[in-house]
Amino acid sequence: MGNTNAVAEKPVAGKLKNKKKAYTGPKKSFKNYIKRYWQLYLLLLLPLVYLLIFKYLPMRYILLAFKEYKLNMPLMQMPWANVKKSVDIFKYFKIAFGNPDFRRALFNTVKLNLFDLVCGFPAPILFALILNELPFKGFKKTVQTIAYMPHFLSWVIIASLSTQLFAPTDGMINSLLAKMGLNTIPFLDDPSHWVVTYVMMGVWQSFGWGSIIYLASIAGINTELYEAASVDGANRFQKMWHITLPGIKPTIVVLLVMNLGYIMGGGFERPFAMKNNLVINVAEVISTFVYKVGIQQLKISLTTAVGLFQSVVGLFFLLGANAISRKLGERGIF
Amino acid sequence: MKKKLLSIVLSAAMVLSVAACAPKDAPATQDQTSTKTEDQTTTTTDTDTETEPEVVSNEPDARGMLDGKFVDTRHISVELYDRNVDGGTEAGNNAWTQWIQEQMLERYNVEVEFVTVSRWSEGDDIGNLLAAQNAPDICYTYNYGQIQTYADMGGVIDLAPVLEENKDLVPSMFDWLGEELIYQDLDPANGTLWAIEGKRNEICRINTFIRKDWLDKLGLAEPTTKQEFEDCLVAFKDNADTLLGADASKMVPFSISTDVGWRAANIIESFMDPDITDKEYYVNGYDDRKFTENGTKEAIRLLNKWYNMGLIWKDFAVTDASTTTEDDMIKAGFVGAFIHNYDYPFRGGKDSINATLQSQYGDDAKFIAVNCFEDKNGNYTKYSYSNSGDRKVFFPATNDEIEASLCYLEFISQPETVEFLQTGEEGVIHTVDAATGAIVIQAPDDDHHDWYQNSGKNIDMTINCNGLRLSTPELTELSLAFSYSDVDPADVQQAIQAASLDAKIPPTVSVGDIAAETEGTDLAGKRDQTYDKAVIASEADFDTVWDNGMTEYLGAGGQAIIDERTAAWEATYGDADMLP
Repeated sequence: MGNTNAVAEKPVAGKLKNKKKAYTGPKKSFKNYIKRYWQLYLLLLLPLVYLLIFKYLPMRYILLAFKEYKLNMPLMQMPWANVKKSVDIFKYFKIAFGNPDFRRALFNTVKLNLFDLVCGFPAPILFALILNELPFKGFKKTVQTIAYMPHFLSWVIIASLSTQLFAPTDGMINSLLAKMGLNTIPFLDDPSHWVVTYVMMGVWQSFGWGSIIYLASIAGINTELYEAASVDGANRFQKMWHITLPGIKPTIVVLLVMNLGYIMGGGFERPFAMKNNLVINVAEVISTFVYKVGIQQLKISLTTAVGLFQSVVGLFFLLGANAISRKLGERGIF
Repeated sequence: MKKKLLSIVLSAAMVLSVAACAPKDAPATQDQTSTKTEDQTTTTTDTDTETEPEVVSNEPDARGMLDGKFVDTRHISVELYDRNVDGGTEAGNNAWTQWIQEQMLERYNVEVEFVTVSRWSEGDDIGNLLAAQNAPDICYTYNYGQIQTYADMGGVIDLAPVLEENKDLVPSMFDWLGEELIYQDLDPANGTLWAIEGKRNEICRINTFIRKDWLDKLGLAEPTTKQEFEDCLVAFKDNADTLLGADASKMVPFSISTDVGWRAANIIESFMDPDITDKEYYVNGYDDRKFTENGTKEAIRLLNKWYNMGLIWKDFAVTDASTTTEDDMIKAGFVGAFIHNYDYPFRGGKDSINATLQSQYGDDAKFIAVNCFEDKNGNYTKYSYSNSGDRKVFFPATNDEIEASLCYLEFISQPETVEFLQTGEEGVIHTVDAATGAIVIQAPDDDHHDWYQNSGKNIDMTINCNGLRLSTPELTELSLAFSYSDVDPADVQQAIQAASLDAKIPPTVSVGDIAAETEGTDLAGKRDQTYDKAVIASEADFDTVWDNGMTEYLGAGGQAIIDERTAAWEATYGDADMLP
């Protein structure tokens, strides 16, 4: 078991290795250490600069969540959030949580992301396992390529595809059903059906792409293990269950931990492109709420407060999932 | 060894890529900082230019102008709607925009740059530009609340003092709009003026259109009542095989979009109390789709009934209204009737709905306007536009060329400019009708395609004039029916008459800013959601869906607006229910 782990980790552990060395480096002198590994640090420099400029510097604008935003003032001069001149720096958090639309968006975000996780997370694993069992290389490659393709489509295009396919009367599927004398299915106009459509479109779009990392991980498993299992009389399913799955378990855990960090987040394009007025009660999520109320109506402080809340909750999910995975004996992501 | 070599190669690649990035990044950041400093010095340069010329003896006046022309070339940017027209030209770069640019440079020594925003999401687009401090110097939008929101955050220039100081720069604008319209949005309490209202020169607003050839084929008369209209729709549906043959399954007797409030306006207005007071109309007037008016619910109940009878396009609510799906359906000839702008089937020359239908199905195939939604008195009450108030022009705070921008407004208000933009050169996009002397608009031929008007009569360029405006009002009226190419002027004339019959002009109320209208809770979204859901609800659920939606709308800020509007009315007009 321990042995398989070590082998399987290789593909994902590339980046971690650098870091690990930085922490637990040999007890030789610092100078020697730098001399030995300077190339690695040089490699790290550009990403670090990128993070600093585009991720850390803008963070000072978190202050906007506690201030009254003014178009014509520098950040530091904007007044603190106030209600009738008495300072209340949590004003915008209170407004957000007092707003039924925000609460609905919050609930929908968590709900849709959970569905995505439950349906979307295992899909690439299953797909990778199935692909791995295919004996014909050519067929395998073709299937793989076709499965990747949707990943490169923007959600705007996928949404219009889904209208073409699923619209109540003119959609391809429903007009076929109607011609066969069957009842049509309200894929897009009934809220509960819409959620299924939304989740399934997400799975369809990403399972192929998501399987790459698992396939790489499977490729790293020591083939001797399979040979030994065959000698012992294991069948295909047993090999899959006892060798392949444990072999990619660390990858699965790392990805799961990272996915849990997104439970409060989620993209903007997908819900925005897919939603319509009939299903807005289940389709409005935080990102579309922020766009509509915050950006379009210039409630910048409110938007920042919501964004900050989202990030903090996301961080706790990430840390929590990481801690749990460590407790269960897997390595987390930090 | 291999590893070391690889790492050296990799790090070399990285250093190179850093080096390669640098020149690209450097000018970008420089640009940013330079625009920033420009912004910051805006206010100081303004005062500079006011005092400077007294020192300079070369005679340019306090504004840096000599003989009405700037001595140094100025540069302004102007918003322009992009309608992304099929067969049109590039919105920001065509013969018309070039003509404007030449004229402005020649007359005022001002360079004009056009910033295009999508017509169908103009509010969002201009909002994004304003939020990014990137908006053009001259902006316009239909939504005053939006301007007020930006003004409250210091994002808009107060035009009251600007106009006071520079009234001599804009005589044509004062002539055209008049003091009352220019100062319509003046806040009585603070004396601020955030925007200048535009003027509508054609006040026809909305019409109900029905396929004339279908009526003839089925031996039906033009409907004159709701019931007759419904009977026509039912007849279309029942005779789909006769009317559409193999495409019978695509039959849509009545078509609407997600914007139900607009696409059912004739119906809604016929259900409103024709004796509504100015006060009630104003108090409910924040929503231009008449969501909270007194007859709206019953009007939507009728639509709901039709929907459940299969008379309305089933897919309207899941189709993005900014796409051309519905238009394509109408042009393909699958639609029996719809409600829209009073001239909708005539817009777009060869690509207009009527021209497209006629080219496919013969000359009889066309939509004609009918009046069939009677109010409780048996009249066809509907609302036209008011002359006063259209697009509202405003200057964002980032505008550092106020005088040059005013010169642009002056230029665009001059009658000759407007006439040229609307009718162009004779022989290119218009001819003169020999019998009547009317100006007849035509589509430009292929050699002059660059003179194609992306918006009818170039209304997107004549930003404070919406509608035909020729040298004399008489000529304008005479030419109106001839101002659409490739369609029968008689049909246009009939549509104008239909839209004018029993039309009421909405009252123009000036009571200052309403703070609740800037709260930003997506009321328009909630309204459309309720409209859409109510139309497709089962008849039994209709009341629940409507009432829940209305409660949500009022709770989210609709009621606050109504209350504040009531208070503002009472503060200005006292107990009176009607305008003086």
